[in-house]
Amino acid sequence: MITKELIERIEGEASLYLKMKDKKVDFATVVFPHFRGMESILEGKNVLDALVLTPRICGICGHAHLMATVRAIEDAYNNAGFGVQISKKAAKIREFTLIMEMIQNHFKWLYMVILPELRKLLGEEDTHKSQLKGAYAASLASKAIALFGGQWPHSSYMVVGGITADPTYIELLQAQNHLEKLVDFFEKETLGIQIESFLSFETCRDFNTFSSDVTEVESKLLKAKMHRMGFAFDQFLILGEHGFSKPMKLKRTRILNVDAKYLTTEEAYTPDVKSYAKNALYNGDYYETGPLGRMMAQGAPLIKNFHRRYKDSAYTRVMARIYELASVLEYARSLLGEIDISEESVVKSVDIKKINAIGEGIVEAPRGPLIHKISIKQGIIKEYSIITPTQFNIGSSTQKKPTPVQKAIQYSSKQEALFIFRTFDVCSVCTTH
Amino acid sequence: MHSKNNKKPKLLWIQGLTCNGNTHSFLNLPFLSNILDKFELLYHPAILSTYEFSQISCCDLQCDVLIFEGTFDPQMQRNDSSMKKILLHYAKDAEYIIAAGSCASFGGIFKEVSPERNSGILFNEEEKNGPLIDYEEKIINLSGCPIHPEWLGYVLEMITASKKIVLDELHRPVELYSTLAHHGCTRNEYFEWKVDAKGFGLKEGCLFYEQGCRAPMTHASCNKILWNEVSSKTRIGTPCLGCTEPDFPRKNFFSTQTNMSIPQDVPLDVPKRSYLTIVGIAKTFHIKRLEGKLIDYKRAD
Amino acid sequence: MARITKEERRNGIISAALKLFSEKGFYITTIPDIAEKVGMSVGNFYNYFKSKDILAKELVLYISEYLGSQIREINERDISTEEKIYEIVSMYFDMADEKPEMIEYFLRVYLSNREVFAHGCEGMICVSAFVTEMMIFFDEGVAKNELRNQDFFSAFGLFMGYLGGMVFLFGEKILPEPLEWYKVSIAQNIYNALKE
Repeated sequence: MITKELIERIEGEASLYLKMKDKKVDFATVVFPHFRGMESILEGKNVLDALVLTPRICGICGHAHLMATVRAIEDAYNNAGFGVQISKKAAKIREFTLIMEMIQNHFKWLYMVILPELRKLLGEEDTHKSQLKGAYAASLASKAIALFGGQWPHSSYMVVGGITADPTYIELLQAQNHLEKLVDFFEKETLGIQIESFLSFETCRDFNTFSSDVTEVESKLLKAKMHRMGFAFDQFLILGEHGFSKPMKLKRTRILNVDAKYLTTEEAYTPDVKSYAKNALYNGDYYETGPLGRMMAQGAPLIKNFHRRYKDSAYTRVMARIYELASVLEYARSLLGEIDISEESVVKSVDIKKINAIGEGIVEAPRGPLIHKISIKQGIIKEYSIITPTQFNIGSSTQKKPTPVQKAIQYSSKQEALFIFRTFDVCSVCTTH
Repeated sequence: MHSKNNKKPKLLWIQGLTCNGNTHSFLNLPFLSNILDKFELLYHPAILSTYEFSQISCCDLQCDVLIFEGTFDPQMQRNDSSMKKILLHYAKDAEYIIAAGSCASFGGIFKEVSPERNSGILFNEEEKNGPLIDYEEKIINLSGCPIHPEWLGYVLEMITASKKIVLDELHRPVELYSTLAHHGCTRNEYFEWKVDAKGFGLKEGCLFYEQGCRAPMTHASCNKILWNEVSSKTRIGTPCLGCTEPDFPRKNFFSTQTNMSIPQDVPLDVPKRSYLTIVGIAKTFHIKRLEGKLIDYKRAD
Repeated sequence: MARITKEERRNGIISAALKLFSEKGFYITTIPDIAEKVGMSVGNFYNYFKSKDILAKELVLYISEYLGSQIREINERDISTEEKIYEIVSMYFDMADEKPEMIEYFLRVYLSNREVFAHGCEGMICVSAFVTEMMIFFDEGVAKNELRNQDFFSAFGLFMGYLGGMVFLFGEKILPEPLEWYKVSIAQNIYNALKE
């Protein structure tokens, strides 16, 4: 008997078709119902218009799309023989705003999705009051983005060869101040402890000595037995090249090389209803993407400890994303300090009309690698294809060869399955671009 | 506004084809919790509310303030229910209907997915023939891609204070949309003296002549009520994209359409002859201060 | 006999000055020369134009506005760009034929004595009425896809340089045929060079 569960508040929605056996999930398929056709909207347009259009795939991670687009275009320039240079300043500012969007995303996921859902799972009441803590923190992060990008959401400030902004120390100092205020909030309200202390935790026992929103999450995850369920394949994929991540795949803790040429997509297996999402595979296999893999790659003691004890359970997945939030907040601080405003914002390159080439741009978005591929003919988009991280995590395939989320929710109760689903941080709009 | 029982007015936020940008922009609103406290939130795509969507889609509730985000697609379903049916049901009894964003106001970017059938809730680009045409007196368009959170905050507060919101012919609140995005841009002096920006990434120069800035033709308050309380596109050197107007998205965003070097579109309601005469005169003068760098970091004391 | 208005007197001065400047040259013509031709005292002359330089600039504005209004009238007609080109060429050549002192002044005084116009007529400000109309012409021609989109000065230089050159040759009495004989071929050449 297959029951359908509507999952909302995942940047849109999805439907989970659950086949239960003895009140536990035997098998589930995932359907994403809406289609917007961004790839065909882009065809025939001026290449630079993609910098305006692709961020509008998603309201929460549009900035990641912007960066993937500009990287794809710049890659096409390189392939056409007109190599594009960007200054360190432009590279760092781009990275900074990308990170701040990730931070904004993780705060919202933590306070607006995970905390309320965890409380609901354990039968506790909740109102939107604590959700607004996440919105507040996110708004501070958006301010830091707006100082360089003009606005958030939907800035289009990255252009070929750099960025449109030419900041002074005023913007830099303001960004630093907003960031410090955010870190302050994070430490007081979320962590309950200094960031540096948290980042150097070694075991989950370190959470016992104080209480905060994070310790509440940690203890409730254990109470809900999330450390014993939600296991996927314990293999992770990172493809974006940044200061905070390097392309690699991990099989458990083993680090291996990757090449984006092994990426493929396939139609989702959804026998009940048509889904507009496609599954993404690496070398014909399903990999998990996002913070857990990225933190495993970083090798922090606390994450290693979690993984040793609880593998890639829902517990580890949630805690890793919280850990990443702290980690990139620290990284953002140091990035700001490295920006040299005297460098050029844009290094001029040839007119886009001269470009006939293919380019690929890969970015680590909050949920994992985001891949944009563009085919350019005389400055016009011939073809554009996009793979989003949720396509890796939340694919829908057969019982014989399940995707990470399908594997993760097997053998859990319906309520547990709905929670585990959300530990992947799903973005419905991205997946059905 | 006061509900019959003096209870809080009921607010319902539903969506068509959307990217959620307006939802996320609204979450940036300072004083968000003050505003939410004034309403009973029936449903919202991100904020915990009284009902789940499955209850909303049963269509046996009513709301006082209806917010619709995203392009209207008459064939769209959510939770196996027709969004058209849901929208029409709640629009009937709502006292106010707010189109949040350019997609809901005019069709916007996702109209292109199915151009023959997608539209805004009242307008289809500039034509007034959307699904809620029968309720046009109740409709407020907050165009923008995305909306500025304070624009929606303004409308909601005006509603709770029972103040009349004066609208323009496109149903946009005049207090927000009478100014142009151009008003308050920090590059104004370059516009005044017709000093073009020599490319992107520079503090100097106006983005209107070559970089495609639509600010002198776009109704918005972006340079008056700053984005995220700190900035705006044009201030940091990105051209205005004209996202509050019915023709958004246009094409060729980052360059100005010219005919023999003459801008095809001149500032709103300014006769082309007048504009060209002024440009011709201004371009004759070479004002050293405006043609050089704004900040000279190496100036000796 | 009706009294001559100030306006008419002013126009009289302009007309006389244009004729004298183009016949005798800018520097040789004096204020007394002009005043005598108009039939007024030098003192009265200064009531209308404070100096010869000011008169020189006013003349440019006058011609520019005249040309501008003629071109505007053509611009506003509901005819094709190709026909408009012919009309502009025709108007310009007719003017050179019937009011030679105007175009002559423009070519032989304004363009050739830049030092006179250095202050107060920088760049194109004194000819803006005329240049603006040419801009409108080009803008509409490209917008209607009848003219090729290109740099303004490339197109302007082609059009105006060509016309000015023909009028110059005409003034030097080098052209074997009357000016109006060349209208069709000149207009055709301009259209062929600029068309989409």
